[in-house]
Amino acid sequence: MLTVSVKWQKKVFESIEVDTLQPPYVFKAQLYDLSGVPPERQKIMVKGGLLKDDADWSKLGLKNGQKLMMMGTADEIVKAPEKGPVFMEDLPEEEQSANLGYSAGLVNLGNTCYMNSTMQCLKSVPELKSELSNYQSARTKDVDQTSHMLTVATRELFSELDKSVKAVAPMPFWMVLQKKYPQFAQLHNGNHMQQDAEECWTQMLYTLSQSLKPPSPSEDPDAVKALFGLNLRSRLHCQESSEESSETESVFSLKCHISHEVNHLHEGLKHGLKGELEKTSPALGRTAVYIKESLIDSLPRYLTVQFVRFFWKRESNQKAKILRKVDYPLELDIYDLCSEDLQKKLEAPRQKLRDIEGQKLGLQASAKSSSKGDDVKMTDAEESSNGSGESSSGDQQGGASSHMTGIYDLVSVLTHKGRSADSGHYVSWVKQESGKWVQYDDANTSLQREEDITKLSGGGDWHMAYIVMYKARLISM
Amino acid sequence: MAPVPDPNSVGGGAKRDEATTKIPSKDSKKKDDKKEEDLSEEDLQLKQNLELYVERVQDPNPELQKIALESMRKEIRDSTSSMTSVPKPLKFLRPHYGVLKEFHAKMAESDLKKMLADILSVLALTMSAEGERESLNYRLNGSESDIGSWGHEYVRNLAGEIAKEYTIRQGEESSIEDLMDLVQQIVSFHMKHNAETEAVDLLMDVEDLDLLLEHVDNTNFRRTCNYLTSAAKYLPGPDDMLVLDIAYMIYIKFAEYPNALQIALFLDNMQYVKQVFTSCTDLVKKKQFCYMIARHGMTFELDQEMVANDEDKEALQDIVNNSKLSEGYLTLARDIEVMEAKTPEDIYKAHLLDGRASSGPSVDSARQNLSATFVNAFVNAGFGQDKLMTVPSDSTSGSAGNWLFKNKEHGKTSAVASLGMIQLWDVETGLGHLDKYFHSNDNPVVAGALLGVGIVNCGIKNDCDPAFALLSGYIDNEDSSVRIGAIMGLGIAYAGSQNDQIKIRLSPILNDANAPLDVIAFAALSLGMIYVGSCNEEVAQSIIFALMDRSEAELGEALTRFLPLGLGLLYLGKQESVEATAEVSKTFNEKIRKYCDMTLLSCAYAGTGNVLKVQDLLAQCGEHLVKGDIHQGPAVIGLAMVAMSEELGLDMEIRSLERVLQYGEQNIRRAVPLALGLLCISNPKVTVMDTLSRLSHDTDSEVAMAAIISLGLIGAGTNNARIAGMLRNLSSYYYKDASLLFCVRIAQGFVHMGKGLLTLNPFHSERLLLSPTALAGIVTLLHACLDMKSIILGKYHYVLYFLVLAMQPRMMLTVDQSLKPISVPVRVGQAVDVVGQAGRPKTITGFQTHSTPVLLAAGERAELATEKYIPLSPILEGFVILKENPDYREE
Repeated sequence: MLTVSVKWQKKVFESIEVDTLQPPYVFKAQLYDLSGVPPERQKIMVKGGLLKDDADWSKLGLKNGQKLMMMGTADEIVKAPEKGPVFMEDLPEEEQSANLGYSAGLVNLGNTCYMNSTMQCLKSVPELKSELSNYQSARTKDVDQTSHMLTVATRELFSELDKSVKAVAPMPFWMVLQKKYPQFAQLHNGNHMQQDAEECWTQMLYTLSQSLKPPSPSEDPDAVKALFGLNLRSRLHCQESSEESSETESVFSLKCHISHEVNHLHEGLKHGLKGELEKTSPALGRTAVYIKESLIDSLPRYLTVQFVRFFWKRESNQKAKILRKVDYPLELDIYDLCSEDLQKKLEAPRQKLRDIEGQKLGLQASAKSSSKGDDVKMTDAEESSNGSGESSSGDQQGGASSHMTGIYDLVSVLTHKGRSADSGHYVSWVKQESGKWVQYDDANTSLQREEDITKLSGGGDWHMAYIVMYKARLISM
Repeated sequence: MAPVPDPNSVGGGAKRDEATTKIPSKDSKKKDDKKEEDLSEEDLQLKQNLELYVERVQDPNPELQKIALESMRKEIRDSTSSMTSVPKPLKFLRPHYGVLKEFHAKMAESDLKKMLADILSVLALTMSAEGERESLNYRLNGSESDIGSWGHEYVRNLAGEIAKEYTIRQGEESSIEDLMDLVQQIVSFHMKHNAETEAVDLLMDVEDLDLLLEHVDNTNFRRTCNYLTSAAKYLPGPDDMLVLDIAYMIYIKFAEYPNALQIALFLDNMQYVKQVFTSCTDLVKKKQFCYMIARHGMTFELDQEMVANDEDKEALQDIVNNSKLSEGYLTLARDIEVMEAKTPEDIYKAHLLDGRASSGPSVDSARQNLSATFVNAFVNAGFGQDKLMTVPSDSTSGSAGNWLFKNKEHGKTSAVASLGMIQLWDVETGLGHLDKYFHSNDNPVVAGALLGVGIVNCGIKNDCDPAFALLSGYIDNEDSSVRIGAIMGLGIAYAGSQNDQIKIRLSPILNDANAPLDVIAFAALSLGMIYVGSCNEEVAQSIIFALMDRSEAELGEALTRFLPLGLGLLYLGKQESVEATAEVSKTFNEKIRKYCDMTLLSCAYAGTGNVLKVQDLLAQCGEHLVKGDIHQGPAVIGLAMVAMSEELGLDMEIRSLERVLQYGEQNIRRAVPLALGLLCISNPKVTVMDTLSRLSHDTDSEVAMAAIISLGLIGAGTNNARIAGMLRNLSSYYYKDASLLFCVRIAQGFVHMGKGLLTLNPFHSERLLLSPTALAGIVTLLHACLDMKSIILGKYHYVLYFLVLAMQPRMMLTVDQSLKPISVPVRVGQAVDVVGQAGRPKTITGFQTHSTPVLLAAGERAELATEKYIPLSPILEGFVILKENPDYREE
């Protein structure tokens, strides 16, 4: 009879009697009582290996008072879960892209960055995408062949972008675009020329608005117009004859004129809505200078603003660029550019919006320190804009319950870098549904910080905003 | 520091003295006449007296001669106290030097002739032509009176001439007896006058350091030994060993056992280590020795001779076995309040990367989860708790199981093995955690459990040998991943132990024709680790045969590089002992021949600072290869291995690596970051950091990966904010590239290793000692990094765990005589090199006062800030036992 001590985890079982005549299994059973580890799970280390159940004690050379070590737990044995996790590495390529949180870039086919950046901006409008997916592949007669093809190509391009992980080469789309608008196929020294992105933008919207018209000539405006179009009511006033006339027009974008006084987008817009023009005055019987003052009569879901940065410079015979810095906000309020009728309509939703925001601010302000108030407002604004985005896509058809507020959030920026419209480089910066900003520089995509987006306001040789797109903040009543 | 003795220019110091004293002598000859008029009254008197003496010396009357000589001697002695300018008597006697010389030659043998020889010897100090050694000659013919009476400068000059004379006589093989008498005198003079460095220099020149033992005393032995040990770094072998031998003997003579032990460990001389134990009678001191041996990572068995009492022996063996390491480490962690487990996200700090952080992945990425596993393992290493793998036992195996199964196939091996890392050094608890995975029917999980057992036992020895008991059963498992787990586990657990049992089990695998290549590679590596620096013939033979058996195709595999490496580790730091094996390696297939050659060379001279080997290796890197040879990678790493031993060589190496980087081929450029990582391991030098940061954006992704890993290595365990920031930015820069991102994550794990309490530096004890096992672990990782894609990014990522061999707490923990931690104030500051400095220089600068336990950064040194205790070890690192100072009085 020997006594040994057994160390198990942090415990030491002192002076355990070992009956060397019995097989070690008996000893293990003794330890089971002490530790609760079943004998088959016990691993007892003796000289030269583990203690086997049927080992011969005498051969192990056990000494009185020897210290043994036991390993083993009564823990449950780890079993693999029935359904293992799915690893990204195992997924097909398409699904990996979903992980990135944004879609792929477009390959530059040779000075096609104007087109790539335009398409990336347009692609960021989910409503446009859904309209396109509803578009009939068969051509209806009131749409001409090339417009139809361009529309289909646009749809294909958008869906390919959504699926792909790697950058997409928009070859089919580009061929169709050139066919439809031969000016984009201009060659210079055997290469395709750089083009004005604004022209591409306008032409694209025009084509889409043509082809996406409802089949029956109804009162409803076409989808594109509903999304991007806004009505301007202009008052023409001739100072010489005090004649007055008014007219309404429908445009797809507002122009931000850049003069010496303009430092901010808002000023530029105001400037752009006021203009002088010469026309024949019926009263005077000659051409006279009229002052044209426009006000917005209806608001689009997506407000597009073009910075008029390029002008034709006669002496150098090219489109020159105004590098002036014009700030634009992440949140734009165009209430004071609206006509009185519209302002009245906007009154109630705006009040509601203010209430909601005030409420949120009030709640959060009590939770957070006052110094963070500004940040809170910012994030709130984002949240509500995202919320309204969802609701707007939800009641796409009806739209009865959501109302315009005249407040817009920046969603995409198309920038130009370089000194003239037909040279340099176009890049688009698009806000994702996740709230993150992504820069699409042809095939390269990269995440950006929100504060860097507002730094694209010009005043240097860095990328500067050329076309910005705002999304309406809607509120349900 | 005193002039560095250079074997090529014997007595450099003496030469300089001559030069300075010679210059005035030449032109002053011409000016003498002019100056005469300017002389002051006294000087004129002196000059006339001396002239008179010179005349009288030549007088035939011996009485007169004697008086003249004696007065002349008196004049000279009175004036040679300082040597800032040529003493006047010497100056005035200069014109008469020739006359006196001639007269001396004519004189008959007599006491007077000797006396004159003495004076001529002194005059020769300024007069003798270069290389003539007249001073020495006259001295030898002189009266052999007290050498010091002629002043310090004279002695120094003489020492220089002796050194020259000695080399000449060595060449002629003539007797040196007369010289040695003089040497005796000079050494004794130097040793008495705080000029130990000069005494040592002289003795090294005449190759008779043994003399030193007679002359050292209580007041100067420390400075002497200090100089000896630091000079040893710059001496070519085998002189360096000789010098250290002397230092050891001096320490033993003065019962300065901790230092003696250090040198014994440096020499890797077990006889000496034993002698330290047998010479010392104080049990507490022996405990301190055990701590030092444990830190060195040496397997050491105490015997009856060293400690008589069984109980004491057990207590001491416990310390050597490192069984208290975990406890000490946790004490430190609690004191610094870093016990709270950290998640990989706490390390990544993605919130600081505004905008760039990817939007929470909806699908698990196996690669990213694997990196998280490693980060979690390294960061929580040794703390016994984490937030992924260990969970409170009551909450079932739920979440632990979950994380495990978030790793894919071979990833599970690393995941389970990470438990070993988390429980590092705490064998009992660790085994408890790992137990349940042994029963899994999933092979990678079992492999991980085996590896985990190895890791948890790293550096810890236990009488029951749990690692061997548990792992040996799996060595011949049919599944090769399980086999690798067991083999690697054994390699880590028994590194440096030279365990025969394991050799018997592992050697057959090497020459088993049916074993897969990866099993063979890991077996070779593990054997290399277990027999690191042992020069074991048998193991070497097995590995050599295994290498010869490889087919052409197998030699091209990435893992094959572990075979030469295993072979190299056997000779780690053993210099010439490698030659026989290196000769054999020349017969290998040419595909591996050069690689093997480079690996053997670099391992054998690792940590020696051998300049010739550095040049050899640099020459290899200078070649521009046409075909895809891979041997330049190990050559570059070898450069770092050889040069890493001392600061000067290290700095030079960093500079030459910069050159190599500029002009080298791509395969060299890939290895340079790794070499830099080794040179500055756990020591983030800003210049190296910048170089690596630049390389981490290199267009060649392999260079970038190596640079990123190396950034992790140089910052390992430091929590260095700058490196952490760099890596964070890299993580967003490379967020799309899974491989590079993996490397960034691993590097982040390294930087925060042990939450900043660990170091990977294989050098310890004030950079004197090199732990062979630690170096083996690091070098293995670096070699694996030479082919990142197939090893670390492939399915052998668990080689990262080899780093555990080098992981040590960078702490200083003070304990009382019963080994309970006590807190005392200490000053921690930048270490200052005080070798050869006069007086009692400060050993640290820019210090701050803390109370123990404290962390020591690279290049820092601690000293007690209280007189209340006396440390038992002069090196305040790791565990230090304090004794109460009996003379301490509370103020």
